[in-house]
Amino acid sequence: MVARRRKCAARDPEDRIPSPLGYAAIPIKFSEKQQASHYLYVRAHGVRQGTKSTWPQKRTLFVLNVPPYCTEESLSRLLSTCGLVQSVELQEKPDLAESPKESRSKFFHPKPVPVAYVVFQKPSGVSAALALKGPLLVSTESHPVKSGIHKWISDYADSVPDPEALRVEVDTFMEAYDQKIAEEEAKAKEEEGVPDEEGWVKVTRRGRRPVLPRTEAASLRVLERERRKRSRKELLNFYAWQHRESKMEHLAQLRKKFEEDKQRIELLRAQRKFRPY
Amino acid sequence: MGPAPAGEQLRGATGEPEVMEPALEGTGKEGKKASSRKRTLAEPPAKGLLQPVKLSRAELYKEPTNEELNRLRETEILFHSSLLRLQVEELLKEVRLSEKKKDRIDAFLREVNQRVVRVPSVPETEEILQDKDGLNQRYFRKRALYLAHLAHHLAQDPLFGSVCFSYTNGCHLKPSLLLRPRGKDERLVTVRLHPCPPPDFFRPCRLLPTKNNVRSAWYRGQSPAGDGSPEPPTPRYNTWVLQDTVLESHLQLLSTILSSAQGLKDGVALLKVWLRQRELDKGQGGFTGFLVSMLVVFLVSTRKIHTTMSGYQVLRSVLQFLATTDLTVNGISLCLSSDPSLPALADFHQAFSVVFLDSSGHLNLCADVTASTYHQGWSLLWLQVQHEARLSMMLLDSRADDGFHLLLMTPKPMIRAFDHVLHLRPLSRLQAACHRLKLWPELQDNGGDYVSAALGPLTTLLEQGLGARLNLLAHSRPPVPEWDISQDPPKHKDSGTLTLGLLLRPEGLTSVLELGPEADQPEAAKFRQFWGSRSELRRFQDGAIREAVVWEAASMSQKRLIPHQVVTHLLALHADIPETCVHYVGGPLDALIQGLKETSSTGEEALVAAVRCYDDLSRLLWGLEGLPLTVSAVQGAHPVLRYTEVFPPTPVRPAFSFYETLRERSSLLPRLDKPCPAYVEPMTVVCHLEGSGQWPQDAEAVQRVRAAFQLRLAELLTQQHGLQCRATATHTDVLKDGFVFRIRVAYQREPQILKEVQSPEGMISLRDTAASLRLERDTRQLPLLTSALHGLQQQHPAFSGVARLAKRWVRAQLLGEGFADESLDLVAAALFLHPEPFTPPSSPQVGFLRFLFLVSTFDWKNNPLFVNLNNELTVEEQVEIRSGFLAARAQLPVMVIVTPQDRKNSVWTQDGPSAQILQQLVVLAAEALPMLEKQLMDPRGPGDIRTVFRPPLDIYDVLIRLSPRHIPRHRQAVDSPAASFCRGLLSQPGPSSLMLVLGYDPPQLYLTQLREAFGDLALFFYDQHGGEVIGVLWKPTSFQPQPFKASSTKGRMVMSRGGELVMVPNVEAILEDFAVLGEGLVQTVEARSERWTV
Repeated sequence: MVARRRKCAARDPEDRIPSPLGYAAIPIKFSEKQQASHYLYVRAHGVRQGTKSTWPQKRTLFVLNVPPYCTEESLSRLLSTCGLVQSVELQEKPDLAESPKESRSKFFHPKPVPVAYVVFQKPSGVSAALALKGPLLVSTESHPVKSGIHKWISDYADSVPDPEALRVEVDTFMEAYDQKIAEEEAKAKEEEGVPDEEGWVKVTRRGRRPVLPRTEAASLRVLERERRKRSRKELLNFYAWQHRESKMEHLAQLRKKFEEDKQRIELLRAQRKFRPY
Repeated sequence: MGPAPAGEQLRGATGEPEVMEPALEGTGKEGKKASSRKRTLAEPPAKGLLQPVKLSRAELYKEPTNEELNRLRETEILFHSSLLRLQVEELLKEVRLSEKKKDRIDAFLREVNQRVVRVPSVPETEEILQDKDGLNQRYFRKRALYLAHLAHHLAQDPLFGSVCFSYTNGCHLKPSLLLRPRGKDERLVTVRLHPCPPPDFFRPCRLLPTKNNVRSAWYRGQSPAGDGSPEPPTPRYNTWVLQDTVLESHLQLLSTILSSAQGLKDGVALLKVWLRQRELDKGQGGFTGFLVSMLVVFLVSTRKIHTTMSGYQVLRSVLQFLATTDLTVNGISLCLSSDPSLPALADFHQAFSVVFLDSSGHLNLCADVTASTYHQGWSLLWLQVQHEARLSMMLLDSRADDGFHLLLMTPKPMIRAFDHVLHLRPLSRLQAACHRLKLWPELQDNGGDYVSAALGPLTTLLEQGLGARLNLLAHSRPPVPEWDISQDPPKHKDSGTLTLGLLLRPEGLTSVLELGPEADQPEAAKFRQFWGSRSELRRFQDGAIREAVVWEAASMSQKRLIPHQVVTHLLALHADIPETCVHYVGGPLDALIQGLKETSSTGEEALVAAVRCYDDLSRLLWGLEGLPLTVSAVQGAHPVLRYTEVFPPTPVRPAFSFYETLRERSSLLPRLDKPCPAYVEPMTVVCHLEGSGQWPQDAEAVQRVRAAFQLRLAELLTQQHGLQCRATATHTDVLKDGFVFRIRVAYQREPQILKEVQSPEGMISLRDTAASLRLERDTRQLPLLTSALHGLQQQHPAFSGVARLAKRWVRAQLLGEGFADESLDLVAAALFLHPEPFTPPSSPQVGFLRFLFLVSTFDWKNNPLFVNLNNELTVEEQVEIRSGFLAARAQLPVMVIVTPQDRKNSVWTQDGPSAQILQQLVVLAAEALPMLEKQLMDPRGPGDIRTVFRPPLDIYDVLIRLSPRHIPRHRQAVDSPAASFCRGLLSQPGPSSLMLVLGYDPPQLYLTQLREAFGDLALFFYDQHGGEVIGVLWKPTSFQPQPFKASSTKGRMVMSRGGELVMVPNVEAILEDFAVLGEGLVQTVEARSERWTV
């Protein structure tokens, strides 16, 4: 992965904040009021030869340790001093590919969030960002960021669903789905009973004569039936050796139980559980 | 089974090498020696965890030796199972005297004997005792003088560490002298000296139960009454005299019979343990070990016990005998002679309720077991012994796996065994009671011991008054006192408190009415006399006019406390015992689950109202027209719907001015400038729709179809029934009569669709996935559990109270987050389904105590907790589950709960608790239990009952204090605030056109954010019921400096340490983040320890 290079790094002579090799540390605080600050560890996004990454080379800044109150918008605003920001994406884990956006529906998948990929419009943005001294302030007078009660109330208001939007989304999805299914069915119907070039005919669920479904449960059922049929024919305790063996088996069970019991007793004795009071 | 050894990680033992024990070599008599040798050979199983036993084939199938076969057969015949045999052997090893100690005791006895013989100027007994000494306590006074003389001389002897007096069996006329050696053996042995007259000094015919030996004239200091009324018999007094004369012969009898066989000795030892665990032998007039030994002798003489029996069989036979024979009706006798001059059993039955004659045929061994003489035909203690014996027999017959522990190792103190407890204090009030009840003959017989004299009549009175509400009444008297020979003996009034335990009958508790006879019947007068002013004439619906008593009780909790009203009323009316002397302990814990407004109810009524509303809603759902698919099932899935929500919902109606409104979505929103609105939690209801070919077979598409149904459901409910609804993709919230329900549409096949995996060959197999398990849990298992527990509540009305108290306590200890609601409900259910060795609790108080006991003693490492709902699991299945559990222990959660629906996975404990949290709970429960029991058993009143509910805060590294303004459930706090904020509700519930603010709880939102952001650095603890403080514990492991890693930089900073760059948590910044994230809610962030300065 990106970061797994060398953990031991020299200290940057100009920068007083220690940071691992290849990374620059930018102090970040929520607002003026806070005393201590977190540190963003940033570096230019780059990958080893041969690995693919959808993030644009040179223009992408890789940011670690994004504080919990920091949103995509505020990050974008904070870094815009270094150059125009094209996009910001917050993620749970470092990831090489851009997440497939189209499948994310706000109704069906909750939003994830402490690493960020910031794509600048120009490569100069990245170098400017690496030289940032900070401390960055997430919430300022001009751009306050909601937290605490403010945030929760506005989150609650956002969570009140809009039934119309939901309906529209469901309808479009189902339309596409129905279409897909219809196409598949039409295709299957077309193939039904038609041999392929080698002469094999594909048997499907929708055929005229239904066949056993290809599921694990079904095959297990068949096996079980076979086993039962076989066991019915077997003779139990018929021969003397069988009788002897079943007796021995019983004894072995008793021995095993005895060993188990002894172990339990040993344990209880170790815990001094036999003192009645 | 027992507390797990503290501080050990559960999962740590998986990789340990297995200890192989040498196979089955201890056989027959070698057994003990071999096992002691083995103890040194084989170490205890790794870290206190049971391992599945693995024996090699050769060991399992080798030819058995004769000895081995013999032992196996013996085990089968003499014991239940090999486990029981081993357990009994271990217990006997613990209680049996070692040879070394026996020698020391014998040596001391010889010394005592020499000293006593050498006491100077002791006259021969013939010189002291004279004819007719049996009369008027003359014998007892001489006996006491003799003893005082002995004491005086022996006290000067340097051999004795302590010399003091006590009473023989609590009889205050018969002191005995206690001698203890000086030095390290002082705790080892106590020798009791009982002076006895020569065996044939008193003529037995003078001491028959029908004879009088304490003359009224002497006792009352009056001249003989002129009316010629006969002197009352003094059976008690006579017994005390007789006991002394036959003492020696009894001892000889016991030693000849018992020493004949080891099994008998073992049996007596086990029986004594059994009695002691049940506190039956405690205090004056207990069911002593002597009595039970004599019972063994009796059973040997009637050939019900054979000398070849094992100790376990002896125990079982005696219990069987006790459970099935009523000695109050058919007395038994050790006397074999058929001499016609001997008194008849019937004479004894007239004088004593329980009759067990000794070998002389003159003495009733059970005379002291009877609380009162010839007054009533029953004895409390005997009833209790029978009750316990029956419970024990049931337990033995049920073949429960840990029967041994429940039978012999589990203590049953009164406060934990009885639903309610009442203390009578001060005891001097009983003297007046005796006069009021006209108990002079009893006083005369008891030599003035008014406590003993009053006990029988008082308990009879209570038993009669409590009637159908009562299952069993028991009394516990303080232990027999000891006092120094230089002091005066204690008075009756100094003997502390008389404590009565009430085992209630839940069916009887629901009625507020005592129905008397019809007004014109002759019994009506008796009824009026019994109930006094409480009895009134009432006309009933069937036209009958009857005497009746009606108690005031509106709620379930008040009905549970009707016995309190009965007891105080009857004691004041008939025995002149004022209310101030009766300390009734039945409902002090109720306060913790009482609603906010009504203090008279513990919430059962509110829960019933909510469930009724849910029933209405489900009818509406069933009858809904216009749904494309029909509803196939409506099931509740919320704690309210199984009666276990700590604070049940009340119907609400919002005050609109308190909220922001979102008109277009007809919803209310919280307002910034107002305190946080009331917390309304929707009650989840699962609505299954029928299966149909119309359902898509693709997970994403099923989700969409369900969402469409949610929308449609909201529409239809609004159109057809005018209910306020709000639909989302996963649920529809419905406001009905002030309650909010959350309906989740479910499709039965959906979990299966989520499970389907297609192999490369095209084979479709089913594999559990996180999503499918969750869905299955929420839509299938949760409704099943909810309905099963709903059923349990109908059977056991106290279940709701117990489960809610238990949950309340766990949450108040800030541990609520670690335990799923359902897991605690199941633990509470286990108390009702598997109450052994108790009976199912009938009051929240006793249930809660047993919850604490279970939590603090259960060995979660080596046992699953069975909750056999509806008794669906057979014994064989349980054995199978147990062995499966042992084999898979390392993969299972720390706490495993098995129900018939969930035999392997323990779904409700999958997400917690962790081993540490569980350990913390065990520790807290072990501390809380004795504290609470002591409080409740304190006759001066329980004091502050909330003490055990307050969490210890000194263990946390950081405390985040919250502002009450934004804690919606602030009033639910353990220490309810005197004033809190208005939460935007109108007092009169009514319809609302806007949807309420649902599930908005700032502390919970804050916690979610905290855990998300700092979950890997710290643990957060909070009481959701109005807690004002969040406790934070740093995780020690994450405070170890770590090398830089891109994947774990959250909340950390790089530091240079010894030339190395390492990552450490950025604590200062995190503490400030705590405040930032909870802006408005957080008052202060207190860092209390400096532990993080690594």
